[in-house]
Amino acid sequence: METLSDTSTPAKRPPAPKTTQRWFIAIPFLVAIVWSLIGLDITLSRLLNAPGDAWSIIRQMVPPAFGEVYERGAVGKIFESVYIAWIGTIIGAFASLPLAFLAAHNVAPLWIRSPIRQLFNAIRAVPELILAVILIPVTGLGAWAGTLAIGIHSIGTLGKWACESIEDIDEGPIEATKACGGKWVSGMRWGVLPQVMPVISSYWLFRFEINVRASAVLGMIGAGGVGSELVSQLSFRNFPAASAVLIMTMAVVLTIDTISAAVRRRIIKGAETTDEDSRTLEAITDLTGIRS
Amino acid sequence: MNDHTNTSERPVKPKPRARSFLIALVLLALTFWAAIKVSFDISTFWEVWTNPIWGMFWPIPWDWVFTKENTFDPLIETLQIAVASTLLGCLVALPVSFAMSSLTTPNKVVYFISKTIMNLVRAVPDLFWAKLLVTAIGIGAFAGAWSLSIFSLAVMVKLFSETVDAADPRPLEAARSSGARHLPAVKAGVLPTVFPSYVAYSLYIFELNIRASVVLGLVGAGGVGRVIETQRQFFRFDRILGLLIIIFGIVWVIEQISVSLRKRLV
Repeated sequence: METLSDTSTPAKRPPAPKTTQRWFIAIPFLVAIVWSLIGLDITLSRLLNAPGDAWSIIRQMVPPAFGEVYERGAVGKIFESVYIAWIGTIIGAFASLPLAFLAAHNVAPLWIRSPIRQLFNAIRAVPELILAVILIPVTGLGAWAGTLAIGIHSIGTLGKWACESIEDIDEGPIEATKACGGKWVSGMRWGVLPQVMPVISSYWLFRFEINVRASAVLGMIGAGGVGSELVSQLSFRNFPAASAVLIMTMAVVLTIDTISAAVRRRIIKGAETTDEDSRTLEAITDLTGIRS
Repeated sequence: MNDHTNTSERPVKPKPRARSFLIALVLLALTFWAAIKVSFDISTFWEVWTNPIWGMFWPIPWDWVFTKENTFDPLIETLQIAVASTLLGCLVALPVSFAMSSLTTPNKVVYFISKTIMNLVRAVPDLFWAKLLVTAIGIGAFAGAWSLSIFSLAVMVKLFSETVDAADPRPLEAARSSGARHLPAVKAGVLPTVFPSYVAYSLYIFELNIRASVVLGLVGAGGVGRVIETQRQFFRFDRILGLLIIIFGIVWVIEQISVSLRKRLV
């Protein structure tokens, strides 16, 4: 009788794949890393000392002086940050939605969509803070500068996301409106918009979450919101007050994140779903463009 | 058979629920309130657009911009901050992500503690970290590198631990059933399948860090933002515009390289 395989002697291992090519990629990376560490003068002793310095500050931050910052009106400042993020998101949403239709390759001709795509890319390349640096001399210090900066920056990202979801649609309904004699605009209104609106509105909410953080930061350069409060407390080295501002900001950010994530889940998946893991992974894939 | 000559009756349009009205009303009220609070007014768009201050952004003094000490040295510092903090953040993120994934976590306590800490770290915006660390360990690029390391750790851990969650559990099971202990089992069973994603995410974090490190200097944490902040105080907006054009040209080139590398990886 014939045995299928002889297990008394171990089978030969397949040869390991060659790794020489990897080194050609790895070496430039290593050079860049060493160059950076030397250039910034990051030595092990400095690295190990830093947590000690940070720890001494953290010790002074306890207990947080909530009463003091409340009297200074920090709660109002935090809400100002939220207002800035909300209005900024609305500006971004309203401006980006029509532009996204003109940028999607399945519904817009080349001559209009390529300049609009370039516009989205250019806007996305410039951070809100830089936009605020440019806008503050024009608008003056205050919440309006931050709102405009966030609104403009949001046009770039929201436009790109909306455009990508328009490109993913089922084109049947557009054909149907055409067959009924509808013009381009009615094709968009009745064929495309109902399909993409759930996804796009959840993107708006997601952008709002990001914008809350961004507007908190914008205050640091005087564009309204809670950032200015943190900066002034830290420059006076009033650490209990600074930690109180920090904790209040974190509480607001986390609350908004949680509510918004729940609403987004409801919009996309409906009321009775529980599959959260795959949903966040999908969101990551959407944002980074990395598929795993 | 259907009679096509008669138009069929249209289905009844569903009535909007009272609750939807209420939600819409609350949102609308909130929007109006927020708009008043940020002094939103349609006419301000026009005022911003026609403001004579825009003239101060022009012409760009290129001979001031194209100098080593004004642009290129700070820009190099910015790049170094981005590289160093990506390295530190992503190196630490590798073990932390495995501790934070339900698939590979050693035990429930580690899982819960690491997840809570990382969520709290991520709730603080990156420039808040920079300002905190500038206060704690002094003005300069070192504080900037630290703050970006912390922030990239938090973001990386979020991205990567969820990829580990979704990894195929069967190789891990095989390694465990052949008697491997926890760490060797994770190393042999999970790491090879998720490593390409790890490298791709690291490149993505690098792109985020480059953008963040440009603005770090605005709070005193080193890099090219420091120059912008100084010129801002002198009202030299023409110089700022020139600087920004150079910076975002270079940032754009680096990003394109990184994006194309990422596409090859995954």
